[in-house]
Amino acid sequence: MIPLESLTSCFQGIIPAWICTCSKEGIPNAAIISCIDYVDTRHVALSFQFFNKTKRNILENPKAMLRLIHPDTMQAYRLLLRFVRTETDGALFESMFRRIEAIASYSGLKGIFKLLGADVYEVLSVELIAYDAGVPASAGVSVPPAPLDAAVPFTMKALQELSACIHQAPTLDCLLDSILESLERIFGFRYSMILLASDRPDRLELIASRGYQQGGIGSEVGFGEGIIGMVAETHKPIRISGMLRQMLYAYAVAQRAKESGLCPEDRRIPLPGLAHPESQLGIPLLVRDELIGVLCIEGDATYRFHEEDRTYLEVLGGYLAIAIQNALLRERAEEDEPIPPRPHSGRRTKPKTAKTEQSPLDIEFFVSDECILARGEYLVRGLPAKILWKILREQAEGTCEFTNRRLRLDKGLELPVLKDNLESRLILLRRRLEERCPDIRIVQSGRGRFRLELGCEVNLIERP
Amino acid sequence: MIPDELSVFLESGLSIVVATRDGELQPNGAVAWALSVHDDRAHVSVFLHPDAAKEMLENLGSYPQIALDLDLPTSHRACQLKGLFVSARKARAPERAEVERQLEAFSADLAAIGIPRALTAGWSSWPCTVLKVRVTDLFEQTPGPGAGDRLP
Repeated sequence: MIPLESLTSCFQGIIPAWICTCSKEGIPNAAIISCIDYVDTRHVALSFQFFNKTKRNILENPKAMLRLIHPDTMQAYRLLLRFVRTETDGALFESMFRRIEAIASYSGLKGIFKLLGADVYEVLSVELIAYDAGVPASAGVSVPPAPLDAAVPFTMKALQELSACIHQAPTLDCLLDSILESLERIFGFRYSMILLASDRPDRLELIASRGYQQGGIGSEVGFGEGIIGMVAETHKPIRISGMLRQMLYAYAVAQRAKESGLCPEDRRIPLPGLAHPESQLGIPLLVRDELIGVLCIEGDATYRFHEEDRTYLEVLGGYLAIAIQNALLRERAEEDEPIPPRPHSGRRTKPKTAKTEQSPLDIEFFVSDECILARGEYLVRGLPAKILWKILREQAEGTCEFTNRRLRLDKGLELPVLKDNLESRLILLRRRLEERCPDIRIVQSGRGRFRLELGCEVNLIERP
Repeated sequence: MIPDELSVFLESGLSIVVATRDGELQPNGAVAWALSVHDDRAHVSVFLHPDAAKEMLENLGSYPQIALDLDLPTSHRACQLKGLFVSARKARAPERAEVERQLEAFSADLAAIGIPRALTAGWSSWPCTVLKVRVTDLFEQTPGPGAGDRLP
């Protein structure tokens, strides 16, 4: 028998698989499968989302036939299966559940498009279907390489290299950029972002990104929303390959749900990052079970993560989380010390033009919403908005230099006594200003110190 | 029996799966390249690779129950035809263009979901064996609520 473990690429959901079953009366049935997981060398698991004909049949007659396609070669395989059991909790169920929930939330289908169980089948035989090969045997036909297949290189050497980059980062600010830069250089992940816990409960904010046209600094994701929100909610990594196909499957369900009156509103949330990612990988950044944030890696091609890579990713997530938390604590402990100059990063926004310097900038602070608009457009909210409003007002009265310590002591900012995340809020604010309002600049002048620089006249307007 | 609109969909170039079973109720399945609805709207012809048809015929000779799952990958609109096997024959030369048209449409749909044409170029769509099926039931198969409902 062909070893099941040699077909793990077939289980990534890139090419649809289908299953044939048969009722006890002898009526066959065929259906496309949404989600298949490799369980071990003798078992696979299929998602059970609806009580459909396939489910009814296997409860009557456990025999099934599964056709899998290898995504690199389109070679088809026939697996004869025997239904064993349905799991409704445990690691297998949870892993499948998280992926399906992430897709469901993107499609506005949370609670409708959900996993009811993971149906586990024993694999009785695996056979290559000789006549069912997609790629021609003739020479000269170019088959696109599987990007990053063999080679999502989670080797010790690669991890050591990443570790060295992290150790060399002098500040939290540099550390965040260094992590994303290293992920691209060492592992080939071109699109990545880090979201840290927000000052609002159950929300994350994007604090660093790489590879995107719009940096998206300050974008928010609620717990449970999409892959990032599901990672935050469950504290577990999630990877989704063949995302386009799975989204189409979910949209088909959404359409049917709307027609049935089960999903009357369009509750789709916009995907952060790439408009049409083909793969997403979310890694929780945890320190002793406390969520610091989420690292999200996206691809416009299909990644082929192997099962064992999950372990590396969880270890990597823990390591990055500790590095980020250490940087936060160090910056707080070493306030008022001079810091080395920040290396220039290519993603920085260009300096403002002379024209923008000349026009006055209206900054409106909405007290009840804790939200700031710049030239009538949303800029920032929450704690970063309150900080910006405070330092702009003080700057208008002649203060240009600020310290984190002074901000921390300001009761008006209502910082929590413990874990105020002030440093990360300031980084978010500075980066958000660079992206959306370059006439206001926050320039770090020492550890725990910064200077406010204005490129034009600013009108401060307070709204209720 | 097969309505006009559904007939157009069935012949539009879809993922087609043929399912049969043996005397031990072990199901087996194979892909088909094309389907055509007969003028009587009660029968269809399914075009398969001869080796795939041979496997299906091993079951159909004794157990004529057959299921056909048809799915459009980009929308996942799908339906299931249940029926009884009637006969098998070699596909005729004038039918080749229609088989290739449907397969081309299906390949284009797969390309739209990121499966490159280079990966489907090796499909051996000719010669074909044709299975004639008398359709007894039509079912909605689009995933979601209502999947499995009988079509009017």
